[in-house]
Amino acid sequence: MADYIKFVDVTKCDGCRACMVACKNWNDLPAEPEDFNGSIQSHRDLTANTWNVITFNEHETSDGNFEWLFRHMSCLHCNQAACEKACPESAISYTKFNSVVIDAEKCVGCGYCVQNCSFGVVQLATYKDKNGSEYRKAQKCTLCTDRLEQGLQPACVVACHTDCLIYEEKDLVLAEANKRLGEVKERFPNANIYNPQGIEGTNTIYLLADKPSVYGLPENPKVALSQVVWKDYAQPLGKMMLGATTMAVIGAAISNAVRKDRPEGDHDHE
Amino acid sequence: MTNHWNDLQYADALMVIGANPAENHPISFRWISKAKQKGAKLISVDPRYTRTSQMANIYGQLRSGTDIAFIGGMIHYALENDMYHKEYVAAYTNASFIVDEQYSFEDGIFNDYDETTRNYDKTKWAFKKDENGEIVKDPALKDPRCVFQLMKKHYARYDVDTVTGVTGTDKDTYLEICQTFTGTSETGKAGTILYAMGGTQHTVGTQNIRAYAILQLLLGNIGIAGGGVNALRGESNVQGSTDFGLLYHNVNGYMEVPTGSDQDSKYKGFLERITPESGYFSNKPKFYTSMLKAYYGNSATKQNEFGYHLMPKLTPGKDYSHMRLFDAMYRGELEGLIMFGTNPVVGGPNAGKEKEALSNLKWMVAVDLFETETSAFWQKEAGADPAAIQTEVIFLPACGSFEKEGSVTNSGRWMQYRWQAIKPKGESRADLEIVHMLARKLKGLYENSPKQQDMPMKALTWDYGESDHPDIDMVCREINGYDMKTKQQIKGFGDLKDDGSTCSGNWIYSGFYPESENLSKRRDNTNEGMSNFLNWSFAWPANRRILYNRASADLNGKAWSKDRIGIQWNAAEKKWSGFDVPDFVAAKGPDDPTFNDPFIMMAGGKGALFSGGVNEGPFPEHYEPYENPISNAFSSIQLNPAVKFGEKEMNAQGDVSEYPIVATTYRVSEHWQSGAMTRNIPWLAELMPHMYIEISEELAQEKGISSKDRVIVKTARGEIEAFAMITKRFKPYKLKDKTIHQIGMPWHFGYKGIATGATANRLTPHIGDANTTIPEYKAFLCDVRRAK
Amino acid sequence: MELNVTRRKFLKISGAVAATLAVVELGFDDKTARAKAKELKISELKPTPTICPYCSVGCGILVYSNGKDVVYTEGDPDHPINEGSLCSKGTTVRQVYTTEKRITNPLYRAPGSGKWEEVDWDFALDKVAKNIKDTRDRTFVQKENGYTVNKTEAIAYMGGAALDNEETYLLSKLFRAGLGLTYIEHQARI
Repeated sequence: MADYIKFVDVTKCDGCRACMVACKNWNDLPAEPEDFNGSIQSHRDLTANTWNVITFNEHETSDGNFEWLFRHMSCLHCNQAACEKACPESAISYTKFNSVVIDAEKCVGCGYCVQNCSFGVVQLATYKDKNGSEYRKAQKCTLCTDRLEQGLQPACVVACHTDCLIYEEKDLVLAEANKRLGEVKERFPNANIYNPQGIEGTNTIYLLADKPSVYGLPENPKVALSQVVWKDYAQPLGKMMLGATTMAVIGAAISNAVRKDRPEGDHDHE
Repeated sequence: MTNHWNDLQYADALMVIGANPAENHPISFRWISKAKQKGAKLISVDPRYTRTSQMANIYGQLRSGTDIAFIGGMIHYALENDMYHKEYVAAYTNASFIVDEQYSFEDGIFNDYDETTRNYDKTKWAFKKDENGEIVKDPALKDPRCVFQLMKKHYARYDVDTVTGVTGTDKDTYLEICQTFTGTSETGKAGTILYAMGGTQHTVGTQNIRAYAILQLLLGNIGIAGGGVNALRGESNVQGSTDFGLLYHNVNGYMEVPTGSDQDSKYKGFLERITPESGYFSNKPKFYTSMLKAYYGNSATKQNEFGYHLMPKLTPGKDYSHMRLFDAMYRGELEGLIMFGTNPVVGGPNAGKEKEALSNLKWMVAVDLFETETSAFWQKEAGADPAAIQTEVIFLPACGSFEKEGSVTNSGRWMQYRWQAIKPKGESRADLEIVHMLARKLKGLYENSPKQQDMPMKALTWDYGESDHPDIDMVCREINGYDMKTKQQIKGFGDLKDDGSTCSGNWIYSGFYPESENLSKRRDNTNEGMSNFLNWSFAWPANRRILYNRASADLNGKAWSKDRIGIQWNAAEKKWSGFDVPDFVAAKGPDDPTFNDPFIMMAGGKGALFSGGVNEGPFPEHYEPYENPISNAFSSIQLNPAVKFGEKEMNAQGDVSEYPIVATTYRVSEHWQSGAMTRNIPWLAELMPHMYIEISEELAQEKGISSKDRVIVKTARGEIEAFAMITKRFKPYKLKDKTIHQIGMPWHFGYKGIATGATANRLTPHIGDANTTIPEYKAFLCDVRRAK
Repeated sequence: MELNVTRRKFLKISGAVAATLAVVELGFDDKTARAKAKELKISELKPTPTICPYCSVGCGILVYSNGKDVVYTEGDPDHPINEGSLCSKGTTVRQVYTTEKRITNPLYRAPGSGKWEEVDWDFALDKVAKNIKDTRDRTFVQKENGYTVNKTEAIAYMGGAALDNEETYLLSKLFRAGLGLTYIEHQARI
């Protein structure tokens, strides 16, 4: 069985944003227009109803060149996913396709995954039940796991016309990424492959045209040891002893204490 | 497009000028990217840095309205540095033709100009002929009166310093562009030029495109894979609607509309006027007569000149184009306006005035999917006083493209069929059904009229079934044409006759529906070579994918490049063959004196470096836009001398002293045209929800404008308010004598729909190109200030 | 190994079932796909090919309709130009149908009125036909400067760049050759 991963070669992206609406179209997500933010970027961040966003960054490189940098921002599907570790309800899991998915049935909307994600990916959506009372669920990109199950590629990948987004066998992708890195180095000397090892790599890897920080990405995200201890040891034990709700409260305390190293306010929305 | 979308992958260099395909034709980048992956260089020439510029290898900034200076400089560069395709130029273009003595050019003016009418006598731009009536030529291209030498002289003035002083392009970048693109003159290389409305929407629009074509002929880039002059057309079927005569000056297939004149008073005289002696259009009488037969059927007889007199005749010399139409409406000369899917209150030039003109109508019919700003021009929301507007408005809801069936023709001339996926929403109906029902009602009203003036309506055939729902297959069959007696579908326009024995609604499409099947429905995507996909849909004419493809082969009929085989002369089989349908007589061999005449639509068969057919002169010459910030560096003539002025009140002009900033308008990926559709699509309104003005950091600082401020842009026509988008992607132009600022804005917005915003066209001038009268949307003067 | 990206390619992931989402009459076989792709919202649905209504690239799109609504649209993987990909506009054509902003009834605005009224097709088309005939008959010019010209210059026709070829053919036939309009224009000019 071949491992497949998603590859985002940002140097091929022409910013058309088909991936954004392809996601909405497949997943039936509503439109949520935002206020004018000074650029053509439509959303400042990912939201519970907007699972991928193209960022637009007017960047002057260190050698004085101008580059308008585009990036398809969405869930990276970490191999060691902080959201999965933080979830007190075990609502978040890895699939056989290496995607990280949220089980809406199990999700209680506590939001620890939101706080713990290194990339600002997971967000809470508010819904109303039949009686009008509000409840919340965590939402994010599923890598179109429902499509993968049928052998179809993710909707964003299908829509992409420049092959900036591809979904392919992992070995092929890594080879392609290295080849492309060599090709783009002349124009983008800071280009790099983003596949952070602190979280054991991701199932969406990027070829970035500049340093991760230029794109608002953490240089070296990690899942804190305390979080691993919490998820893999304390939580199962505690659940046996205390019951889930109490554990959720303790969990919140821990995850706030060990908050990931995602820099605040580093998203560049030019 | 001379070529087509998939063909872009075969280019070695692609120059995008007056277009922004990454934003406005995004899927073109699937093929542009493939070319780049193979090492092709992409050049983006644009007033501002666009999404296309980011994808490009070289970006050259040019001030709006200076394309001829830019390209003229490249022509100069090519000629000075021997970077042109010598064999191709000598054999396939009119470079060797000797121009007769009358031709001259001095200080911006060609010979035989009449200042009062602003017209040239174009008959005085002619070639010298010998006693047998043959054009005199100098194959060595040395004669000072040959086209090549005259062209060289004309563009000698377009040196790099003068050019960049006008365009504002960085000199080193300009030279890099010249070198890269003229490098495709090497035999076996290919370069393509992609343009759109950034090229055409100028008072010199036609000559902009002529300049691109001249450069491409010099580089040997026309007729070959990966080459061409490629207009990236903006609407899904603007190609088809142009092919089908929805412009005042053409009937179907680019033939003339008759005039009320002595020459045109008889069908015979009219045909004599419009039919050239040589070239493919020498068959015009067959095409025209077959069209009249399609229109009037058995009422078109030899005795009544095939119903020619039933056709309306234009007043000679009168311009009925969009702006003149609105001028007439403004003067109250029009009673009724019928619109099928169009929204001039957002899309028209000087849109505020065009909107004012609408209230002079007695009645208006709007057929559309959404309530447009134009159909609702009488509402309070539009700033109108409904009680004061006496126009009766009828809105007919049309259905969407996949709620009906029919074909559209893309930019590469592929006629592709669309099938019906769902019934029309609600009570909406297909446009085909609407025009059919209307025609049947009208024919009913005229049925028993004895009046002579009602004859055209009575004679008009309308045999598409008796129900409200027309039989589209009957329409398709009529467009293709058939034998009037046997009713057998004709195989192609070669079978059309001028004796009334055939009909064909549109000769350029004939062949799409032979007896066997409607070829626009074909879906065989086998690539049999050079990605021409000859069995996918149908391309006019005659399923040719690359126009002028005879020029893909050398003087012996052999491909210039083995990597770019179009068609080649097969000596054994005595015919042209290859990966495309020959745009040439298939059996025309080397023994034929016209074997090396690839441009079969041109009289003489040669590519026109020198053209007597364009209103402002045989060679493109730079003039400044109607509103301009500097004096013309090339002559004392500021504005295109052949441009006409319309209704004065519609056409206020701003001066640089009051309006010092250059402005332009454009489109973005997420919206389409006047936004009538896309601003009503929730997901698109979400991607691009706000109207904005793009302003350079330098200008913003000068004007005290911060990001997200509300700003007011003012021109001689009006003012609008929108958000300020401060960007590094606009930079001031350093021209020869001064620094000029430019701003830009999308023109998609209006007050209806989900995404609303100010209409950019309230600012644009009501003046246009001297040949096409396409408005000069792309270059005008304004001032900008922060809204209080 | 060269990376050869094609949107038609199905993934060889273990557990995944190759689904063929395509059109039967046009040379595909979607029967197996329908049997196997049960959970997908587009299973059981036969897509209809269309061409994008926006720019002139002419991309192919598959429309998944259940007869009552358009459930999904996606790029046509067999189309040689877009090979399954689309831009943001092409991707959202589903909402051309589903948007609540569509006008689905003929509307009438009386002179001086401040509002639309919903009317039926007969009323609307009768009005249009009557207006055209009335204006045409009053303003028709048979002769101008002694020449037969058979025209009316009091009615203008505009638009058509988003219509089908067959529609544009009938429009110029009716308005030019039948009714005698000379003011006939569309978006190619602007």
